[in-house]
Amino acid sequence: MNLYLYLDKDTPIHRMDPRAKLFVLLFSFALPLLNQHPLWVAGAFAVILAYGAAARSLENLRRIRQILFFIFVFSTLVWTFFAKGTDVLIWRVSRQSILYGIGTGLKLDAMIIAGMVFLSTTKNEEISQGLILLGLPYPMAFAFSTALRLVPTFVGAGATIAQAQRSRGLDIDSGSFIERVRKYIPLLAPIFLTAIRSSDGLAMALEGKGFGASTKRTFYLRFKWTARETVVVGLFLALVLANTYLTLTGRTLIRGLMK
Amino acid sequence: MNAVEVQGLSFAYKGSEREAISGVDLAISPGEFVVLMGPSGAGKSTFCLTLNGLIPNFKKGKYSGEVRVFGVPTKKHKVSDLARDIVLVFQDFETQIFSTNVELEVAFGPENFGVDPDEIGRRIHATLKRVRLDGFEARQPATLSGGQKQRLAIASALSIQPRIICMDEPTTDLDPIGKFDVFQVADELSREKNMTMLIVEHETEEALKADRIVLMRDGRIVAEGKARAILASPALLEECSVKPLEVAEFFASLGPGASLDGGELPLTVEEGLSAWERLGLAADRRRLDSLVSEKTRQQQAGYGDPVIEVRNLVHRYENGLEALRGVDLTIRRGEFVAVLGQNGSGKTTLVKHFNGLLAPTGGEVVVNARDTRATSMFELSKTVGYVFQNPDHQIFAQTVFDEVAYGPRLFGVPEGEVKARVVDALEAVGLTGSEEEDPFSLTKGQRQRVAVASVLAAKPEVIILDEPTTGLDYKEQESMMDLTKRLNEMGHTIIIVTHSMWVTAAYAHRAVVLKEGQVVMHGPVRDVFVREKELADVFLKPPQIVRFGARLGLPVLTVDELVACVGREEGARK
Repeated sequence: MNLYLYLDKDTPIHRMDPRAKLFVLLFSFALPLLNQHPLWVAGAFAVILAYGAAARSLENLRRIRQILFFIFVFSTLVWTFFAKGTDVLIWRVSRQSILYGIGTGLKLDAMIIAGMVFLSTTKNEEISQGLILLGLPYPMAFAFSTALRLVPTFVGAGATIAQAQRSRGLDIDSGSFIERVRKYIPLLAPIFLTAIRSSDGLAMALEGKGFGASTKRTFYLRFKWTARETVVVGLFLALVLANTYLTLTGRTLIRGLMK
Repeated sequence: MNAVEVQGLSFAYKGSEREAISGVDLAISPGEFVVLMGPSGAGKSTFCLTLNGLIPNFKKGKYSGEVRVFGVPTKKHKVSDLARDIVLVFQDFETQIFSTNVELEVAFGPENFGVDPDEIGRRIHATLKRVRLDGFEARQPATLSGGQKQRLAIASALSIQPRIICMDEPTTDLDPIGKFDVFQVADELSREKNMTMLIVEHETEEALKADRIVLMRDGRIVAEGKARAILASPALLEECSVKPLEVAEFFASLGPGASLDGGELPLTVEEGLSAWERLGLAADRRRLDSLVSEKTRQQQAGYGDPVIEVRNLVHRYENGLEALRGVDLTIRRGEFVAVLGQNGSGKTTLVKHFNGLLAPTGGEVVVNARDTRATSMFELSKTVGYVFQNPDHQIFAQTVFDEVAYGPRLFGVPEGEVKARVVDALEAVGLTGSEEEDPFSLTKGQRQRVAVASVLAAKPEVIILDEPTTGLDYKEQESMMDLTKRLNEMGHTIIIVTHSMWVTAAYAHRAVVLKEGQVVMHGPVRDVFVREKELADVFLKPPQIVRFGARLGLPVLTVDELVACVGREEGARK
């Protein structure tokens, strides 16, 4: 099973300097967060989708569709009951709380999709290199990208271990909550052990290949900040600034929502 | 100056009394190709780790003696500095490959040493070509086959341009042709680039390529010498838990009476053939035929009704990969079946359908007359036990007893009977008396046995073993397989997934060969193994003795079979 999101495609967005991709990621987090009204959030959502489509990365949506669906339904439902509005429809549900719920659901999904597009267009090495170019020390950037890389490895090991225990008759999906928690013990011990062993192996492999041998490390991947980067980042920055202005002047809010 | 110079080296890991290696002296000259062999726990891996300074700089313990790499004592230098001269390639390629594509993996080493990016580009090109991975630059390592991953690990060591490469069991998880490729590359490097090679290996046929073989046992070097000289001593190899070359074993078994006119013991099929002729040997074909039919009769006497029926099985993974493309197979009670095929051919995917770990996306699998899709895994696991390749993926309990009792307890077996079952299961695997031990303190071979025992205790009719001999030395492999043979004779149906050709030849009744998700060959092992050419197409190679027999027109599977039917021709010269 392949758990990496990265898609090896040759689009202008893939070829961008990783710093630009990091800025775009930051701005595409900001866009949905700035808005409250679902229509405005939907606008931010559309911008992110358009960026993803330009990077031909939306095929990964299929792989995270369940998460997206679950998060949308869950947060919409929760906020429909917990937010308060002036036009009460029934019990705790008001017109505003429904709008707020939908807005929040869209917001979270938009941010997840932004993250997905980033990971679909950026290799781990580019992420760490982008962070270095932005001033982060190499060991920290490397630790960050390694952590990203280890997630799929551990998920894979976890899946194998779960299969091994289910083959012995472990039925994880039945029983009361406490019973189910107890059933996870046979999974956790081997997972921890495997994790420790493979981190140990990784550390040895790194040292053995000269990690940290020289203070001036070079990078095989080279990037150049060109007009393209400036245009794309500039466009996103302009959107964020405009949106901030509109939010500060209250035009993206849900009228009648009580906090 | 020697490439490697080891003097009086001893090391005990922190928290352990026992010395993992003790009093080792060894010198390796530049450009030499050395293979290190020996049983599990002999200290081979520990020795490798001392060469680039991971011991004692990374792994702490009691260290004495000295290791010098091109004159530089490793103890006083940083591991990363030593990497300029010596790079280790580890057995587990999953943990040492960490980049997102092939090219960047190879670039990682030179980047650390501040090599100019243009030069790195040239090195990537050259090293990938060297290990025959050119054209794979943009591939994700996860999508490569086992053999390709191991060659990538070698490439990522090569790009640093060290003077020594040390590989710790690089071929354990590879199919026979993958093994051959790794050694081919190592051989080329030592000959053409004058690179010093040290490889830890179990396979004797591959070791023939080396200049020198060093045998270790109990932390000490017990013998060393020219590869041919060491390989011509089957008894010595056996003592060190290394499987001797079968042709050599055969000629040695003829006894000193069959002296080879003062010549050396033949080691290869070709040498064997000329010795056969020179000695005027002949085989009694009738004796072989009756031996074979007796064996077949015995095996088939234990067969019953079909227990697993696979009909037009298709499995497509979520990412669209079609791992199985229409497999038909019937397995009867009491059979011993080996599933063979290259890395990635669908072997494991196939057997995971037998206990419901995977559900067919097309066709059907019927176990004990019940469709697996309509039966819960809990129910299936009572009939079909599955021993995973890596015992550490399932062991969790604090004592061996609890580990083995886990399955029966889940199935609601009363505690009194659980006890009896654990005792039986541990007896079957030869671990009687270890009930109270901590499974994590056992050796890999013993943990493997605990895993088998824990499946046995649930008393499944069918036992599937995924790569049961991986990571074990020859003696451990033999005893593991003797155990499965006993289980088979007790009436269990045995299905193994394996790369090991000799294990298949010596133990399995029937072989199923997969290629790209389809069954390409299928039948009694003897009939499948004579089709050498077709096997080569699926990256498999029959054991040496089978190839030797085939050249003589004798369909033998083991050395014993050949010995049983051989004699000298009347009136033959000498």
